[in-house]
Amino acid sequence: MRIIVANIVAIYRRELQSYFASPLAYLVAGIFWLLAGFFFTYILEVTLARTTFADASGYQVPIDSATQLLQGFLGILSSIALFILPILSMGLYAEERKRGTLELLATSPITNWAVAVGKLLAVLTFFVSLLLPLLVYEAIAYSTTNPPLSFGVIVLGHIGLVLLAAAVLSLGMFISSLTDSTILAALFTFALILFLWVIDGVGQEIGGPLGDALAHLSLLKHYGNLAQGILDTSSLILFASYIVLGIFLTAQSVDAFRFQRS
Amino acid sequence: MIEVEHLSKIYGNTAAIADVTFGVESGEILGFLGPNGAGKTTTMRILTGYLPATAGTAKVAGYDIHTDSMAVRQRIGYLPETPPLYPEMTIEGFLHFVAQIKGISAGDRAHRVETAMAKTNLLDRRQTLIRKLSKGYRQRVGIAQAIVHDPPVIILDEPTVGLDPRQIIEVRNLIKNLAGDHTVILSTHILPEVSMTCNRVAIINKGRVVATNTPTELMAQMAGGAGYELEIEGDLAHIQQALQPLPSVKSVEAIATELPTEFCQVRVASEPGHTLMGKDLAGAIVAAGLGLHEMRRVQVTLEKVFLELTTEEPDAAPTEADSAIANATAAPSEPTASDRPDPAEPNAPEEDA
Repeated sequence: MRIIVANIVAIYRRELQSYFASPLAYLVAGIFWLLAGFFFTYILEVTLARTTFADASGYQVPIDSATQLLQGFLGILSSIALFILPILSMGLYAEERKRGTLELLATSPITNWAVAVGKLLAVLTFFVSLLLPLLVYEAIAYSTTNPPLSFGVIVLGHIGLVLLAAAVLSLGMFISSLTDSTILAALFTFALILFLWVIDGVGQEIGGPLGDALAHLSLLKHYGNLAQGILDTSSLILFASYIVLGIFLTAQSVDAFRFQRS
Repeated sequence: MIEVEHLSKIYGNTAAIADVTFGVESGEILGFLGPNGAGKTTTMRILTGYLPATAGTAKVAGYDIHTDSMAVRQRIGYLPETPPLYPEMTIEGFLHFVAQIKGISAGDRAHRVETAMAKTNLLDRRQTLIRKLSKGYRQRVGIAQAIVHDPPVIILDEPTVGLDPRQIIEVRNLIKNLAGDHTVILSTHILPEVSMTCNRVAIINKGRVVATNTPTELMAQMAGGAGYELEIEGDLAHIQQALQPLPSVKSVEAIATELPTEFCQVRVASEPGHTLMGKDLAGAIVAAGLGLHEMRRVQVTLEKVFLELTTEEPDAAPTEADSAIANATAAPSEPTASDRPDPAEPNAPEEDA
């Protein structure tokens, strides 16, 4: 057990280090922060304007502008993440294949799933480190709201975002393990995530038990639950399932593809 | 140390390797020789646990490669054809990482990395990013990652490919130094490399091992053995008449040359089991009244053995190109060979006069 943990840590550290050494990762971070910052101010202004308008027109029902800000911003972040995450996950295995380092990992006394877990944790850490600066200005905005926003709701919303990212990255890691082309990995991951994003709508179109089942697979629906501060166990289970599925498929595909190719 | 038994690997309908059996003793260097696509890499990948075999088993350091894969992996250092390197890491950082995933405890790691870098002459570049290294240095880092956990068995897939001559010599010396403490298998298609570095050779062709032996014995085994090339004044019929009766002579063949018609160049091959003596040949030529102009001993080279074992045609008679290669590589052994005909040479001019 100690050896497995040590292996995961070794993979994790190497992978994380490669993100912080990669120009692409900085480019992604820059674009992410730019977009997030832009949309945050935009949502902030819209919310403020709406509140001012409501106040001025003597609206009776008080508008919870803080919650609106939080939900609006989490929604935007998830949309940006839809584009960012496939780029972060595309190289996880495709790069290793291209460089031939997968042969090193596969001939070392380390299991496939330990490699997969280490890599997933690393890329997730990188994504979380992208979120950290945003928390600063979120904290400033939420601290000024009256009535104050429940701390639990904020935390749950962000946990939801991290879980969503973990699920997407896990599936992206699997797709990355199928090819040695990073571009293909990114494109296919994007397509798959987009499909899982909108599957809710597809399910509603179909209707019936199949439609329900499809709708339940939707990432957006479950993310929406958490972002609203609803702690739904089925949402947590769904995200956990996606994460485990991605790790499992990755470990399997690394073996299977190794056996196929000479 | 390594026992390979009836190993086969089948992709669809084609067998990459079939019924490969060989063994390597502890401390030996085995050269794995074969044309491209013969199955060298496949065999090595099976031994390292990268590929599963379709049939057969192999044991490395007493552990079965299929049932005890993790134990085997711990005891093998492997350098694939392209060194597995992370360009964004420094040499030292990379070796630390490899030591870590090979299961070296944190306390030992620094010392092991240091030793590996010292052995591969990388100490002065330890903080250099791998991305910035030349091909030769990358190859050295590749070897360093194969030996960093001090494994009993080291498997090197074409370790000298793409290096310049000086680097090749360095790498060969490094490999020779590894023998003794480690058991080494290295694959190559550069033949002199095998005779220079390896204790034993396994020649593999079309997925089958066609010969295993020491390089010297392999050369001695081959039919023909050593021979002579002679340039004689006289016609072929006369020369054959003079030389064929000698018991050690197997054949006398003319070599096409652009010599004037009164000269003839022939190659004399020895009967297996007999030693062809230069003085016998010279004596016979002198006795027949022919003029001996030139006499040169030709050694069977590993190239010839290799070609004979791996060439499809049942008639493995060397072509003109082959003999040219053979001559070229026979050159180093010539100083001793050219001494021998000397006693005969003085006779030749006399005959001419």
